[in-house]
Amino acid sequence: MIGFIVLCIFAMLILLAIFIISNNDLAHSVILFMGFGLGSAVLFVLFSAPDVALTEAVIGAGTSGVVLLVTLLQISKKGRNA
Amino acid sequence: MNPKREIRVQTIVVSLLVSIMTILLLGILLSFQPLSGSLGSELLAINQTTTQSANAVTSVVTYFRGLDTLGEVTILFLSIFGIGLGIERLQEKENIFSYDNALLKIGADILFPLIILFGFYIIIHGHLSPGGGFQGGVVIASAFLLMFLAKNNELKLNHKITTLVEALSGAGFVLVGILGLLLVDRFLGNFLPLGTLGKLWSGGVIPLIYIFVGLKVSAEISTLVEYFIRIKDAR
Repeated sequence: MIGFIVLCIFAMLILLAIFIISNNDLAHSVILFMGFGLGSAVLFVLFSAPDVALTEAVIGAGTSGVVLLVTLLQISKKGRNA
Repeated sequence: MNPKREIRVQTIVVSLLVSIMTILLLGILLSFQPLSGSLGSELLAINQTTTQSANAVTSVVTYFRGLDTLGEVTILFLSIFGIGLGIERLQEKENIFSYDNALLKIGADILFPLIILFGFYIIIHGHLSPGGGFQGGVVIASAFLLMFLAKNNELKLNHKITTLVEALSGAGFVLVGILGLLLVDRFLGNFLPLGTLGKLWSGGVIPLIYIFVGLKVSAEISTLVEYFIRIKDAR
């Protein structure tokens, strides 16, 4: 059962990675990237590595996504205001 | 004595020192006995008698490989320092990330102390359950992130306090290492009573190290997020 769930998450992560790369809107890419971090955190829990999963959930799904999103906002601020 | 001769004396001393160190290093490397089994099983076998930490991953990270953790913390500090050096001149007051919403503001007010508490729980229970200094520090920084999202310009980090916390906790980590060197002849050695396995007061020096790492990481990551949120348009 665990193996089936792990395979499903693997397929989902590959699909998400393709979406992240091929998306035209960078904001959508960043949101999908945060989802990718969450999925890999679940994968780490299933592989019995809870320490790494905690780090991945906080860093990958939280802080790095927010930093990327803020950077995106900053570089597109002039375009939005004009 | 002409300057040419002085340079030659320096060169001789330096080359002598380098050759002595090379010989010492070669001697240490040649006398090094490889472990019989795999390193992981050896560390697991001696974990309970040497650290009394319920989470063996934590005891590897902070005790058996404590110097590596010190290096990682230094790398994080250097990267934040470099970002600050480049960005601090571009700071402005406006917070572009904030989102004006009453529900978000009230929710952030309620959640902020809870997230801080959870972060400190993860830091303090690092030797008992999954987690530790780095994870808990980033959880505390995410609480500040939520406040930056909810409060428009009311919340500003006091950079004196964050710098003080970061510097003191970094110095505390090194101080614990040097105390271990003085008291038990090993850098980051354990000089505190071990306690019993599974209790909060156990693990010797591990909780102390993780508290320092957690404070340092939380101050660094919240400063980093604030740098990115308040940067002026560079173009």
